[in-house]
Amino acid sequence: MEITRRNLLKTAAVAGAVAAVADVAEAREGRRAAPDEVGMLYDSTLCVGCRACQTACKVANGLPPDARDASGGEYDAPLDLNATTKNIIKLATDGPASTYMKMQCMHCVDPACVSVCMAGALHKVAGGIVAYNPRTCVGCRYCQIGCPFNVPKFEWSKSLPVVEDPKIVKCELCRHRQEGPACCEVCPRGAVIYGKRTALLAEARRRIAAQPGKYFEDRAYGEVDGGGTSVLYLSPAGVSFQALGLPTLPREPLPQLSETVQHTTYKWGLAPIALYAAVTAVQLRNRKADGAAKEEE
Amino acid sequence: MASHATETPLGGTILTPGFKLLLGLCATWVALVLVRLVWGLHGPAGQDPLLAISNQSDGYPWGIWKPLNVVTFTGIAAGAYAVGLLTYGFNRGEYHGLIRSAVLAGAIGYTLGGTSITVDLGRYWNLWVIFVPQWLNWNSVLLEIALCVLAYNLVLWIEVSPSILERLERSGSPAAAARARAILPRLRKAMPFVISLAIVLPTMHQSSLGGLFMVAVTKTHPFWHTGFLPFLFLVTCVTMGFGAVVALENLTALAWGKRIDQPLLARMSIVPAWLLAAALVVRVGDILWRFRDPAVLARYRLMGHQAFYGSFLLLELGLFAAAAALLFRRSVRENRGKLLGAAFLLILSGSVYRFDTYLVAYQPAAGWRYFPTPLEILFSVSLAAIGITVYVLFVKLFPILSGVEATDAHGTATGAQSAAGH
Repeated sequence: MEITRRNLLKTAAVAGAVAAVADVAEAREGRRAAPDEVGMLYDSTLCVGCRACQTACKVANGLPPDARDASGGEYDAPLDLNATTKNIIKLATDGPASTYMKMQCMHCVDPACVSVCMAGALHKVAGGIVAYNPRTCVGCRYCQIGCPFNVPKFEWSKSLPVVEDPKIVKCELCRHRQEGPACCEVCPRGAVIYGKRTALLAEARRRIAAQPGKYFEDRAYGEVDGGGTSVLYLSPAGVSFQALGLPTLPREPLPQLSETVQHTTYKWGLAPIALYAAVTAVQLRNRKADGAAKEEE
Repeated sequence: MASHATETPLGGTILTPGFKLLLGLCATWVALVLVRLVWGLHGPAGQDPLLAISNQSDGYPWGIWKPLNVVTFTGIAAGAYAVGLLTYGFNRGEYHGLIRSAVLAGAIGYTLGGTSITVDLGRYWNLWVIFVPQWLNWNSVLLEIALCVLAYNLVLWIEVSPSILERLERSGSPAAAARARAILPRLRKAMPFVISLAIVLPTMHQSSLGGLFMVAVTKTHPFWHTGFLPFLFLVTCVTMGFGAVVALENLTALAWGKRIDQPLLARMSIVPAWLLAAALVVRVGDILWRFRDPAVLARYRLMGHQAFYGSFLLLELGLFAAAAALLFRRSVRENRGKLLGAAFLLILSGSVYRFDTYLVAYQPAAGWRYFPTPLEILFSVSLAAIGITVYVLFVKLFPILSGVEATDAHGTATGAQSAAGH
């Protein structure tokens, strides 16, 4: 009993030391948007819900229609983002008020999906676009857990390698098109516009300043939320961002906590190496002692 | 090492009726895997959703297979880690008799977890990419788990290998016996270096299993989302591991008349009591501390279903407290039946905590729901059956259990029948 208690105290001491190390650890620095990064600005007060952007997205990305649920098989009428829908217009209601909402990948400045992806299948490319490379994707779907906007979708109906080749599906800001995103090109009301993130932020501020009180919280969602996103949102005063389906995020990027803990614990690989050395040393010493006083126990 | 001499293969009939039942479940699992591989994780298109192979969705992309087959199975399999820590880390040589059985259970549990996760991968044929150093993303907690679990699987089977070699040493084939005799001394010499890995690797990935959810800040209920996730997962794997060792000792005693060293188990079982007490203090203190933050409180209100989340938290705290309270009593620890009950409580409390973090606490957004399909549950059950099958096969063929007597085919047949039932 004596010895067990002493061992437990030792363990507690080690745990305390680890906690102390964690205490002095510096939080990981959040990534900042480079000046040339691109994005979109969606002004919900301008959108009339015509869904031209939805169709243009499907054409530009070669996606089949989703006629399952809402339209009885006749029209492309997806209910949400899914494996054949990278962009969607939904109606958002907040009490008596309602407005349209456009959803697609937010192209976070410091994305959780990129932080969690094991071999960089999701990664940032030029312009700050979050791109997907199926060649290094194992289909673990941790990106779906990590993304606070629930954007990445998996092709559940596919299975076989090569023939079906199931992938993660999400907006890549039409990086295969010279002209930029198809959705912005076709919008008849200019409700969604494409450009440099800095320019879009300035435009959002200009609109807010021109008509104070018109927009919810007099700010653009995505400027600072979750470390910032490259797709920015303006919502009418009566409709909260929450009602649009945009989660309330801390100002720090979401990977901050996990990466800080991970890189503090494994800094230089010191902790595992030290533990390995200690356990080996204890064993070798005991083996020698065992040899000296054989069969004593 | 001398103490290893006491372990004996059980021998006896292998194909008992109970064992045949287990083999049937193994075949079921293989069939389910084939369906998954051909038609995908939802099964054939257009079928009744109730018959789907799994109910995983874009909202709940991990379903029950990760929390159960990986996180719970390896928690139970951490008996190898728990007893290893005690025996080698703290030099308590008297626990040596428990090691082989625990390590075998560990090797089996981890192999099943690894197999399950591989079958579950949407693009399993790409798994080789996690061995290409320049592609790897060291920010990914999952990458650390994947590499660490693979390495640990290898380490566990190396730890099991002496039992197989010892059997070969006494086998009829002189060539095999000579080979085994040549390898064994070298293996024993290298063993301390392997055993150290068997301590370091689980410390790393068992804590990381909790760390996985730190990134899901807004999707994990604030009762569970904390920087202490790695600590709490590490503690629960050790407590579950101790529970599993006690349970395994009792089950093998019931099945094959293994002699139980109750004073030994009693001494050992004070450790999980202290660990659970520490976990309770951390868990409650951490929640109180974090809820002073208005943002955390706001997230708590936003996620709603307060009675639902509250009752699961209370259930967890209750199970932790009950298991600890029982194990702190000497009268419980020294009584075989009571200790077995407490051991099941240890497994249950850790499992519930882990399951909660992965499923109950996880809420992607309003409107998403998840409940496993019957086949999804059968997949896990039959996978567990494979584990029991392999364990039974191993203890009959190889010197794993100590305190048992090898019997002839007739003598063991009856015992083994009842064994398969457990």
